Amino acid sequence: MGFIKGTAGFVRFSVEGDLPENIWDFIAERITSNAFRDIDDTYEENSIGWVSVTNMFDTDFEYASYAAGNYVTLSMRQDERKVSGAIIKKFVAKEEERIKKEKEIPKIPRSMRVEIKERIENELMRKALPVPSIFDLCWNLEDSTLLFFSTNQKAQGLLEDLFRETFDLTIMQQIPYVCGEHLLDEEEMDKLAAITPDFFV
Amino acid sequence: MDLVDLIAEKRFLGQEFLTWLWWKSEERGGVVALPEEGDIVVVFEKHMLLEFGEGDSNEKLICRGLQTELQEARTGLVMGKKLEQARIQLVYNDYEWNFTLAAALMEFRNVKLPKTAGPDNANDPEEKEGMVLERIHLFEELIRIVLALYRVFLKQRVSEQWREELLKMREWVALAAKA
Repeated sequence: MGFIKGTAGFVRFSVEGDLPENIWDFIAERITSNAFRDIDDTYEENSIGWVSVTNMFDTDFEYASYAAGNYVTLSMRQDERKVSGAIIKKFVAKEEERIKKEKEIPKIPRSMRVEIKERIENELMRKALPVPSIFDLCWNLEDSTLLFFSTNQKAQGLLEDLFRETFDLTIMQQIPYVCGEHLLDEEEMDKLAAITPDFFV
Repeated sequence: MDLVDLIAEKRFLGQEFLTWLWWKSEERGGVVALPEEGDIVVVFEKHMLLEFGEGDSNEKLICRGLQTELQEARTGLVMGKKLEQARIQLVYNDYEWNFTLAAALMEFRNVKLPKTAGPDNANDPEEKEGMVLERIHLFEELIRIVLALYRVFLKQRVSEQWREELLKMREWVALAAKA
């Protein structure tokens, strides 16, 4: 959302943990092994991984295109097959009607209904096209901080998992209280821990 | 304490900062002094969101309008509502940013960066990298200034002078009630 151009929305994270000495080799290897895999021609429901910030189809990162100065810039791409509840409901009902007519029965037994629902869901999921979502990030290696260009909390959760899986590092959202740890000394931080809300009236 | 509890318990901190910054900006007509940096322009404009209560009883009040029409938002403060989001114009060193700060989680939304020249040839990898680095610099500069302002607030908030600062803020809020 707006990292490369246009208006942007972002939240800040700190990156916790140590990187090995050969930082760029490590990063190159980890990004490649966690690059996005396309699922357009498979039946997989979900795929998540890294792509280039300027091209969602670029998973090769030629000439280390993720590196900009002392920063790592990446996009997290998730492709997901989704079928709306209303569509599933419609096709399950349609199939139940067909079976009732075919078998000449007034009602379908419960066990069979469960089987029908599962089968229809699978069929529809296979037909559904994967919907892509892209979220950019910019990782400052010097300060161990990261900007994530989405305020969507679900996406932030996905980022935490993918980042940990890729780099063996955790990220911590810099909410105002946590920010204080970098801005105040120890004594002030103790006081901050104890304060309660004040009222302006 | 884990992050989820911290977010809930310390939600007020960011909101108090934003309210304090609004008052600081109005105190000197849109200018705030930053230690070691000098005066910077901080103007609250157009859009504000105040909230009241927590969880199910959470109420929101959206105020739009020009600066002078933010009276309604100040009246909201009188009612005990907290400032959660504000649209801010920030000018520093000939650069101008416009952004919405969501206070409780310190989210930067709809950030408009200062205008820059842009690359001559967007396909050239070196120019592309230069363009990306320039944008990163502008994002980080905005964050640096906001954090510097936040640091001034935090230092006051945990110091003896906070009582005095709080009384002045209350006077400012009370003026809105009379207006």
